[in-house]
Formats: sequence, structure tokens, C-alpha cells
Amino acid sequence: MTVPATSDPADTRTAEPDGWLGWLTTTDHKRIGLLTLATSVVLLFLMGILALIMRGQLAQPGEDLIDAHTYNQVFTIHGSGMIYLVMTPFAIGLGVYLVPLQVGAPALATPRTTLLGYWLYVLGALSMLCGFAIPSGAARSGWFSYPPLADSDYSPGAGPDLWVIGVAMSAIGILLMAWAVLWTVLRKRAIGMTMLRLPVFSWSMVVTCLMVLGAFPSLLAALVLLALGRGDPAIFDSNVWNIGYQHLFWFYGHPVVYVMFFPYLAAVAEVLAVFCGRRFFGYKATVLSLLVFAALSMSVWGHHMFTTGQASNDYYSLTSILLTVPAGAEYFGMLGTLVGGRIVFRTPMLFALAFIPQFLIGGLTGIMTGTPVIDYHVTDSYFIVAHFHYTLFAGSAFGLFAAVYYWFPKVTGVMLDERLGKIHFWLLVVGANLTFLPMFGLGYKGMPRRVNTYSSVDGFGLLNLLASCGAAVLAAGMIVFAVNILRSLLRRRRGGLAPMPDNPWNAHTLEWATSSPPPPENFTPDRPLPPITSNAPLLDLPMAQKEAEGANPGKTAQPGEPAGPAERSGL
Amino acid sequence: MNKHLAYGVVAFWGLLNGLSLSVLAIYGEASMVYWLWGGVVALLELVAFTVWLSSWRGSDQHANYRVTARTGAPALPAAIAVLLAGLSFAYGFWLLIVSLPLLAIALGMAAMPGLAGKDV
Repeated sequence: MTVPATSDPADTRTAEPDGWLGWLTTTDHKRIGLLTLATSVVLLFLMGILALIMRGQLAQPGEDLIDAHTYNQVFTIHGSGMIYLVMTPFAIGLGVYLVPLQVGAPALATPRTTLLGYWLYVLGALSMLCGFAIPSGAARSGWFSYPPLADSDYSPGAGPDLWVIGVAMSAIGILLMAWAVLWTVLRKRAIGMTMLRLPVFSWSMVVTCLMVLGAFPSLLAALVLLALGRGDPAIFDSNVWNIGYQHLFWFYGHPVVYVMFFPYLAAVAEVLAVFCGRRFFGYKATVLSLLVFAALSMSVWGHHMFTTGQASNDYYSLTSILLTVPAGAEYFGMLGTLVGGRIVFRTPMLFALAFIPQFLIGGLTGIMTGTPVIDYHVTDSYFIVAHFHYTLFAGSAFGLFAAVYYWFPKVTGVMLDERLGKIHFWLLVVGANLTFLPMFGLGYKGMPRRVNTYSSVDGFGLLNLLASCGAAVLAAGMIVFAVNILRSLLRRRRGGLAPMPDNPWNAHTLEWATSSPPPPENFTPDRPLPPITSNAPLLDLPMAQKEAEGANPGKTAQPGEPAGPAERSGL
Repeated sequence: MNKHLAYGVVAFWGLLNGLSLSVLAIYGEASMVYWLWGGVVALLELVAFTVWLSSWRGSDQHANYRVTARTGAPALPAAIAVLLAGLSFAYGFWLLIVSLPLLAIALGMAAMPGLAGKDV
């Protein structure tokens, strides 16, 4: 069925069943996106509980809350869950929901394959978590499961097998979803939406999906190798396959860090522009830096293997340090947007502002560990744990929350409570820094990662206690977040809320041109696509209207080409 | 130029990867790495070619869209079939007896418009 870009929903609505069955079999990108986002948020809470168990165990020397066997399972599933099941799917889920809206398309390319991707992700998550329910326990060799530790000689039982199956299924699911998002941006854009008018978020999804396409097959190859090794552990008697596994794994494992970063960085970029009331500074430079950053990120995986002595350390060190150039360009864009902006300190903006320095700490310590001389000293210590938690929690997760607070009104039609949002923000800022900053000190003092306890004579007690207190503050913040979400949704269900404008933030991109929440076909005759004249078409709109009315003739708000009559005829 | 930008982006990104790979060759690395990364560069160029093939006759942007009128009902049974096939690796290949028919049913549902939903 062929429909115009702006269509009458009565003509085109798909024959989906009502109720929960409609949700489970939906081909609407917004529903698939919401299912993905909601599933990953639920899993975020589960993984947070595992983190609290770990911090409880490490709060004092010689603590005996859980035994070593359980601790190994808990840190493995926490790390695996956060990467494979929370941060990556949430990033792709945002793309599934937002990209068609941002490019002016009524649907996602290959929606049924996207739904299959979602179900593979869900069942993969279940498979991984089911390990806790079997007698031998869940996987326990870390989120990268190096052989020979992860082979069946050293990690017997079905738990690691369930982990392999779960990771493979979720990776295939993400691949399918990423392909759909990429194709939508490349081939489903509305009239007027040229590549250089894409919002920064959609550009970030292009590079993210390209990285998924390039890197995730390598993870699948690593998992096949591991599965074969679990069948016949003799495979890993040869060092070729032990090191080969590490190459295959980290060829995925480093780019995925950026898969879990670019969408959140771009969400922050969108929030900064909107809450500064201006265009994002250095749009084209940022787009180019995203492409270069992503390509360079494919070349640095060997820095995870410095200490094996079997990687080309000079090369990987060089490319790791080169990452500072495109990263610097993106930071310059964010700071340039802030300078001269009329800053409004709403909750999404607070999270976006905190993202900037906190991710910087994670990024700069990453450059430090990308240098072999420092990496040899701190590898497998708590310094590494601190570094990646600053990138993924104090950085990316703050971008995630900025995205949630920013797009929640678009998705649900109701605002989140601002007061609770600010309490959530401050608890997270205090909690994240109190938890992860002491870990740098612990790593510097020599505390190895993945130990379930330590002696009182090690001198790790105070810093560990501080980190555990920080985790408790984080937990309090997350409870406030849950209350805020549930309260807003309940209030919407009960009704009686004051009507919310469709674009409560005066945002700039196309998803805000339609109703909140959007109709099934995204844009309707009541809410047509506006002329797309730049990467911030809603910002151009008042000037375009004035121009159409004869005022300010010949001037537009944006240097981008205004849509001509021929272009508009299709809208 | 705009018409060529979409596949150009993919091709350019693939070439950037090729450039990094060629610099790595100067430093030297295990042969497996060249196959791995070279394969990815080839895959990306293939994707760029696919985008080009899809776009060379049509416009860069769309005025009309083909929206599926079918439900995604086959997706869940297909995913369960894949899970069972995976579990057969841990719990025995007898699970394929359940997995393969389920996959066949899912594929059948996907192929039959009457079961998968109706075309409007």
C-alpha cells in the first residue's frame, strides 16, 4: 500500500489487533521502540540491584554477604546485562522510535524484521538471566568471557552456555534493528530532508548503525568460537585461538562503547540546542567528526590487549590518542552552543550539562589507559572500573536520562514532574561521583577488579565504603526516577491533567511538529510536515511564515535552501 | 550531489576503515586481523552499493511510502524457534524437533497474507 508522506490515518492504519496482542505483534515503529526502551529500563533496574549486591559485599573488608561463586555470577551478569541488554538496546530503541519521526517518514523500513529483532533481544535477555535459576548458576567469567577461563573445563555447567545463547540472540536482534534504522535514514527521508538537514540525533544513529553493522558480526564469530571451545576445550590449548578470541571480541567490544555513546551524545546535543534556544553550533563539523570518530573507534580495539604482548601496541596507542581530535570537535560544538545561548535549567538540560564534564573524566582516563605505559600499570585494576563507569554511567547514562526527560512528553503526552526530576538529578550527580571517583584511588592503590573481598590491611576500606555509600545514593535517585515515571503515567491514565502543548520545549526537530504522542502514521493532514529547510526546521518556521506573509521578504532564518513549491507539493 | 550523499556516506565510512587498516599493515598485525577488518570494509562497501542500487533510479527523498499492512505475528514464534535452536546447543539437539517446525510455522505465517494480516 502506497501512502503519501502526510497521510490520512483512517486510510492507512495497519490491521493490528487491539490490546496487549496488538503490542506484541505490532509493526508500528513507535510501539517497537517503546517496547525496547521499556524492556531495557526494567533491565536497568535489575542490573542496578546486582550492582547494589556487589557494593554491599565490598563495603567493608572481609564482608560475607555473598560467596565468591555468587559474586562472580553477579558481576558477570551485571556487566553483560548493562552492555548487551541495557545501554545498547536503549540506544537503538531510541533510534527505532525517533528516527522515522525525525526524517519525516511514516514508518520504519522492515518493521517486521525490527519486531523480530526485539523478540530476539527479549528472549536473549531471558536466556542470560535464567542462568541464576539453574543449579550450577549463571555465567561467571566476566562480560568478555575470555577462554580458557570460559571454556567448559574451567566454567562447567549450563550457565555459560545460556550466556552465549543470550548474548548471540540479543546481538542478532540489535543488528536487525540497526539495519532498519540505517535504511530508514538513508532511503526513507521525506521530501526536503537532505542528508545535511538531518538532526544531529539522526546522524548519530547513522554512525551508530554503521558501527553495529561493522562490529557485531565479529561478536557473533567470537561467540561461535567460544561455543565450539565449550564443546571441545582442546581448541583453546592453542594460543592462536585464545588471542584470536580476544581480537574477535574486542573488534566488537570497543566500537560498542561508541554505540553506547553516540546516541546519548547526540541526545545531549539536541537538548543543549533546545534549552539554549539556538541552533547546535558547528553542525557540519560535528557530523564530520562523528563519522571520523566512529571510523577511528573501529581501529583501537587492540588497546584492550596491550598486556597480552601480542598486539601492535604502537598502532593502537596512536589511534586511541587520535580519538581526542574528533571528540574535541564534538565538545567544541557543545560548548559553542552553550556560549551565547539563553540557557533554561530544566531537568533534561541539567542532565545534559552534567554529561559534559563527567564524560570528559571518562574519556580522558580512557586516553590514559590507551597509552601502554599507563595501561600496564592499571590494567585489571579498579582504575579501569572507574574509567568505564565514568564513560557509561556518569556519561552515557546521564545522556540517557536527558533523553528520557526530553522525549517523555513526546512519547506519552505528559510531562515528568520537574521537582522530582531535579531531586533525581542531584542524587545521581552526588551518587555517581561518590561511587566512581574513589575507584580511581582504589585502582591507583592496586585493588584488582573482580575480587569479592579484601583484607583490612590492604587499605582499601575507606574508599570502598565511600563507593558503597555512593551506590546507595544512586539507588535512592533511581527510586525517585521510578516514582516520577509511574506517577506521571498514572496521572495520565486517571485524566484531569492540564492539556500539554505538542511542543512543550519549543524544540527544533520534526518529531515535535506532530501531536504528542504521535498518531500511527506520524504526520497527518491536521499535523502535516512543515517545510524542511534545515536541520532545525521548527526553528525556521516563524521566519518562513513571516516571509510567506510578506514581512521580512527575502530573509530566512537559516542558510539552508528553503523548500520550493515543487518540494512542498509532496508534503 | 545530494542524491549521492546517502550511499556516499556509507562508502566514505568504509574507505576510512580501509585507510586505518592500511596504516595498521605498516605496523604489522596477525593475518586474522586483516581478514577480519578487510571483510568488514568489503561488507560496508557492499552496503554502500546496495544503497546506491536502491537509489539510482529513484529520488533521494520520498514523497510516497510503502507501509506494511501486515502484523508482526510471525516474529515471536520465529524468535522462540531461534531460542530453542540455541538451547539445543546446551541441552541436546532433540530441541530442534520443536524448533524447526516452529520456525516453519513462523515462515508460513510470514508468507501467507491471510494469517499474517490483511493488505489494506
